[in-house]
Order: sequence, then structure tokens, then C-alpha cells
Amino acid sequence: MTSVGRTVQPLESKGGPNMGAQDLNIFSLGSLLIFLIPILYISRYLKLGINKEIIIGMVRMCLQLSFVGLYLEFLFKFDSPWLNGAYLLLMISIACHSILKSSNLKLRIFFKPLFFALLIPFGIMLLFFNGVVAHIDNLFEAKYLVPVGGMLLGNCLRSIIIGLTHFYSGLKKNEREYLYSLSLFNNRTQALKPWFKESLVAAINPTLASMATIGLVSLPGMMTGQILGGSIPIVAIKYQIAIMGCIFYTEYFSVILSILFSLKTGFNAFDVLKTNIFQNN
Amino acid sequence: MISIESVSHDIGTSRIFSNLSFCVNKNEKLLILGKSGLGKTSLFRLILGFEQPGSGKIVVNGRNLDKDHIHQIRQQLFYLSQDIDLKNEIILGLVTDIWEFNFARELYQEEINRQLSFLELSPGILQKRTGELSGGERQRIGLLIGFLLDRPIWLLDEPTSALDDAMKKKIANHILALDKTLVIISHDQCWQDSSAVRIERWS
Repeated sequence: MTSVGRTVQPLESKGGPNMGAQDLNIFSLGSLLIFLIPILYISRYLKLGINKEIIIGMVRMCLQLSFVGLYLEFLFKFDSPWLNGAYLLLMISIACHSILKSSNLKLRIFFKPLFFALLIPFGIMLLFFNGVVAHIDNLFEAKYLVPVGGMLLGNCLRSIIIGLTHFYSGLKKNEREYLYSLSLFNNRTQALKPWFKESLVAAINPTLASMATIGLVSLPGMMTGQILGGSIPIVAIKYQIAIMGCIFYTEYFSVILSILFSLKTGFNAFDVLKTNIFQNN
Repeated sequence: MISIESVSHDIGTSRIFSNLSFCVNKNEKLLILGKSGLGKTSLFRLILGFEQPGSGKIVVNGRNLDKDHIHQIRQQLFYLSQDIDLKNEIILGLVTDIWEFNFARELYQEEINRQLSFLELSPGILQKRTGELSGGERQRIGLLIGFLLDRPIWLLDEPTSALDDAMKKKIANHILALDKTLVIISHDQCWQDSSAVRIERWS
């Protein structure tokens, strides 16, 4: 499935198996709303109090995805490497925001180190995938850059959140142990090693677990999309294997770098954990 | 030597001490007595650079306690905390890591055995995790690490509180005979009995 830099076919094309997925009629799509009715009814009957959240969540999802869809149509048609790159940088920024919010760490302090901790492994892996694995000529082609980039980033989010949370909350909770270790080793890196190791393992465990069961329980999203889009399974599987590998590598390195890069801003000159780094104490 | 010069320290809104000044000379043995809650442990935390004083100056072996000198200063200090805050790991691994990182060479069995027998601990204790030990055993492991590291200035916070009387005396006598600068916080009589000790009472 290599492309030679031409723009993507519009999604309305009908025809043979390699021409893209069948378009969904807006009314057919809207028919799914029918299942909301029993859900809202049961939630109200059980007095769950979440109907407002359900409706807001669904509406937000539709609006956000529609907006992204429109934007991506434009991006793909225009296909400027600069614009595509800028979009990726925006994605990374939003990812950083989301990670820090979930990790309870202050944005102002950790945004810059986290941004680079993501950018470096992510950028390398993405370009490697595009250039070496998928062999496409234009490394910044939107059709590859945006979906693959999005998958790498989206999957990294969870592990980095786990890594950072485990690390900083663990240190805050066990501050006396850390300080005692610091007095014995007189070296911040050495004193931090146990927490660093635990955080890295905690961060990548979920991915290892899902790699162990992938394909046995359900088909991964990427494969599903590809097959619906007309790829034969064997091609879809090759892409899926490649992507899973890339996701794991990106996660591993970005967790390490996000902890490492954050140390400078997270600790003071006396190697003590700063107290004002958390969003909510 | 340690010089505390007009140091004032607050934790939150409480003033822990104000305008504290005293000196501990090289190889001097200072025992600080006083009720709990007077800030004695905080003093150690300040000397180690874990907290910074509100005002005043601390000088250790001629170096100001600031970010430029903190690592050189910490290299000279051995701290035994009141709760022996060691991470819950297998003791042999813990001690070996500490030794090898500080001395860049292997820890020989004889060195550790010598200390174990002095502290009346069985060699089997090395295979246990820190969390499995009794209070007295933890204190002795803490002291064992101190003996191995052999740093010139010791800050000991209740180093013998969980030991039996005979052990208290034995350890106090041994430590007080060492060629080191010591600052000890303890309620145990064994430290007060020695003529080598200078006592400061805090109130």
C-alpha cells in the first residue's frame, strides 16, 4: 500500500475493494441514536444522575470528531509538510496538557520538558515508520503522518501518565525514604533509581499485557479500519504488527525521557522534591 | 566541624527555633537533650540541606551550606534517622549498593561479617527485607551502614532507642571512642555517662 505522494481519493468513490470504505449516510449514522433512548431511560430510572454527562459526552464527541474530520480533509488535500508538521506539534502540545492534567502536575513547570520528551522518540519513530517501514517517498505525507502519529501519541498518553504519576506521587508519599537514600548515596540519580524503575515497569505493563492478548480477544482498531477500507487481512496485519512495535518503543522511550527531563524542574538545587509541583496537593 | 550561626527556622506558621547559634568542633561529641518537638530533628534536616533555614548560616568544615557546596558537605555526613528510613529491600542488596556506589569496589564478606558480629546480628539477616526486621535490628543495620561508610561527621537521631541496655552501652562506648565529629540526639543514659560527651540541653 505505498503511495507516491498523490492526494487521497475522496471518500465518496464507489467501486472495487481498494477504493476506500463505503460511505455512511448521515441518516444511517443517526439511526444509532436509537440506542440512547433505553440508556437514558434506564439511567433515569436507576437515578444514576449521569444523563447530562452522557448527552454532553456524545455531543462533544460528535462535534470534536466532525471538526477534526473537516480539518483533516483540508490538511490531506493541501498536504503541505509544514502544515502537517505544525499539526503534529499541536497534537503533542495537547497530549502534554492532557498528561499533566491527569498526572496532577503543574503545566507551567513541566510542559517544556514533557514536550521534548514526547517529540524526540515520537518524531524519530514516526519518520522511521514512514521512511523505513512503509517506504513512502514523502515522509511528511498527511495520509500517513496524521493517523500513525495520532496512534503513537494516543497510546503513549496512558503509559506516560502512569509513569509520571507513579514517580512523583510515590516520591511525595515516601519522601523520607528518598531523602535518607540521598544522604547515603549523595547522588540524586542513584537515590531515585528504585522509584524510576518501578515507574517505568508500571508504565509499560499495560502495553505488555495487551500485546500478550492482542488479536485473541478483538481486532485492533487500526486493522479494523484498514480492512473496512479495503485492505486484505495479511496487509492489515503487517501494518498492525509494525504499529504495535512502534507504539511500544515510543512508549518505552518517552516514559524514560519524560521522567528524566522532568527532574531538573521537579527538584531543587539541594536535590529535594519541590513541593509546589502538584496541581492539587 | 559544624557551625550554626544565628539560624532561625519555621515550619509552616510555627517557629521551630530562632537565632540558634552553636559550634561542634572537629572530633567533638555533642549530645543534644530535650523534650521531643523542640526541633532537634529539624536541625539535622537543615544540616543535610533537606530544608533551608529562614535566616542564618550553617558552615560545615569551612564550607557554607549552599547549593554550590551541598554535595561536598553531604559526602562528609552520615545521618541515622529516627525511623531508619531505609527502602524495603533485601538487606544484602541494599548494603552492597550503598557500598559499591560510594567506594567503587566490591564489598567483601569479611568486612560485613565483622560488623554483623560486633552488632550481634546473625549473617542470615542479610537475606531478609528491611521491612521484616524488628526495631532493634533496623537500628543496628542503620549503624552497620554507618560503620561501613565511615564518614567523618555523624548525625545520629535516637540511635539506640530500640536496643537493650547491654547493647546500648556497648554501641555508645564504641561510637564515642571513634575519631569522628558526632552530634547525637538521644534520651538514653548510656550517652550521658561518658566524659567524652559535651551535653547541650534544649528547652
